[in-house]
Amino acid sequence: MTNQALPTEVAGDGVMSTMGNTFEAPARRGTRKWRLYSKRFLRNRMAVVGVLVFVLIALFGIIGGHLVPWTYSDVDFLAIGTGPSREHWFGTNGSGNDLYAQLAHGIQRSLTIGVLVSLCTTAVAAFVGSIAAYVGGRTERIVLEVIHFLLVVPSFLILALVSNSVNGDWRMLIVVLVLFGWMYYARVVWTMAMSLREREYVAAARYMGLGPAAVVLRHIVPNIGSMLTIHFTLGVVTTIQAETGLSFLGFGVKTPDVSLGALIGDGSSQLYSAPWQFWFPAVTLTLLTVSMAFVADGLRDALDPNSQAGGHA
Amino acid sequence: MTKYILRRILGWALMIVLATNLTYFLASSFLDPRANYLQRRPPVPEFAVNANLTRFNLNDQEPLLHRWWDWISAIVVHWNWGASPEGASVNDQVATRIWVSAEFVLGATVLTTLIGVALGVFTASRQYKASDRVLQQVSVVTLNIPTPVMALAAVVAGIALNNALGRTVLFVSGSGSVGTQGFLHGLLDGLQHLVLPTVTLVVTGYAGYHFLQRALLLDNIGADYVRTARAKGLTKATAIRRHALPTSIIPVATSVAFSIPGIFTGAVIAETIFGWEGMGRYFVTTISKNDIHGAVAVAAFGAVVTAIGAVLSDVVVGALDPRVRVS
Repeated sequence: MTNQALPTEVAGDGVMSTMGNTFEAPARRGTRKWRLYSKRFLRNRMAVVGVLVFVLIALFGIIGGHLVPWTYSDVDFLAIGTGPSREHWFGTNGSGNDLYAQLAHGIQRSLTIGVLVSLCTTAVAAFVGSIAAYVGGRTERIVLEVIHFLLVVPSFLILALVSNSVNGDWRMLIVVLVLFGWMYYARVVWTMAMSLREREYVAAARYMGLGPAAVVLRHIVPNIGSMLTIHFTLGVVTTIQAETGLSFLGFGVKTPDVSLGALIGDGSSQLYSAPWQFWFPAVTLTLLTVSMAFVADGLRDALDPNSQAGGHA
Repeated sequence: MTKYILRRILGWALMIVLATNLTYFLASSFLDPRANYLQRRPPVPEFAVNANLTRFNLNDQEPLLHRWWDWISAIVVHWNWGASPEGASVNDQVATRIWVSAEFVLGATVLTTLIGVALGVFTASRQYKASDRVLQQVSVVTLNIPTPVMALAAVVAGIALNNALGRTVLFVSGSGSVGTQGFLHGLLDGLQHLVLPTVTLVVTGYAGYHFLQRALLLDNIGADYVRTARAKGLTKATAIRRHALPTSIIPVATSVAFSIPGIFTGAVIAETIFGWEGMGRYFVTTISKNDIHGAVAVAAFGAVVTAIGAVLSDVVVGALDPRVRVS
């Protein structure tokens, strides 16, 4: 929380300049900062492994589908519900779809939904929450009323209603997930920013004549940055989990489209008779989400100047 | 403070009413009870369909505002939340299910929060020591097990345990056995049914609080005022407990309050797999059966639960943070 308050301590070798020499070439300062971040990130071994696993899964999602003759919607009537073989590497499902091709497509779909939704909700939540806390007065009251109202409206119900009627269109799913996903974070950000707005450096920035947007973007948001980073990365995981739940119940992404959640939903009914239909997507999903969580941890070590992960600066 | 809380409660009540009505209009435009009759074989004549739908105030050929007025006045005057397209009273359905879900969700919520916050504090004060790293990695894994996978794994493990012991110790289906006699037997039977679903929700849920509490506490442990407290001669444990913890627990209190509806909807999956007839399963049924009145009742219930959580959160935050001026 006091990241901003300790600029000289951030780097013992004087990477970050104090207020007196802000006219120093900004490009050089930026490069040094990023080098420091990457150095600190690379020190967290699990985070590096996480990045590798994540990249591998993402690559599998992007190019994996082109390595086999099947696409995710092709049906092989000669191999219905067969186990892994040379023909179908991960087996087929009850309709004869190649599970490998479906898995590649499912990763693509789930990742797209997860990243886009999390990016939008975190950005909206950070800005709306901090502005409400900093500006105060009538703006704060109105924003909070809107947040509370959207929180009371049961988003899961509306999600189910809407995605049921658009027949599992993933773009609509993104819109609805964002529409009803930002309020919760915004309220958490608001609570944190409430404490921050009383800090001396925020008051100082205000007395120096900075406008509300500038104060929020330069002084409040950076100070909850570590929380926002965690929220973004975990938000991807949460979104994918939410999508898994919706699809499991039959409200999310539906056939003919395929997502990791839909695959797990299909496979879970065949847990004993056709275990590969369940375990391939389940293990992939778990690897994906676990790796992202380790990346979040590494980012925290890298971005938080108070972090003592494996040594100093 | 009391006046402030009372005003908040009034505001929330107003919002519950607004949200419930909004959901009524949404559900009326997205759910189509008439479709239930279209799939019938032999086909039902249209006048019969209309007569049935009109009887339960679900006929889409009547103006929406008329239907809404009948619906809302029945609630206000008789506390009658309407009927499903098949004529089953929503009041009857909800009355039993609320307690089934409450029993299921409440225990899981309390355990999840307690375990998560305790682990967060424990690991934050031992940052980067072996215990912190091990617990953190365990939590990363448990948090990311999808609820369906965890529930099914619990079923498999429960069956394996029962087979190994040669008798049924943990039930994998239903919320209670039929024909259980006596209070103690009933309690034991309930617990036997409760263990596996609760374990599912707790294992997949606690880690969120663990990480949030750990991250926030670490943000504060490094802060100047905690260092000042240490400099005054306080031990690390006391400095954390008196200075860092109260500040860092504020956002956690907020998130606990607002995670209640989330846990509730999250329980839908567990209820489906473990065969519990709770609100979560009712919700899935109402949507797939185009039961407008049932869906709105679930929405209203969700709104009430959220409001209770939010008011409690305001009380806790107000008590913890003197800087939060209650105007």
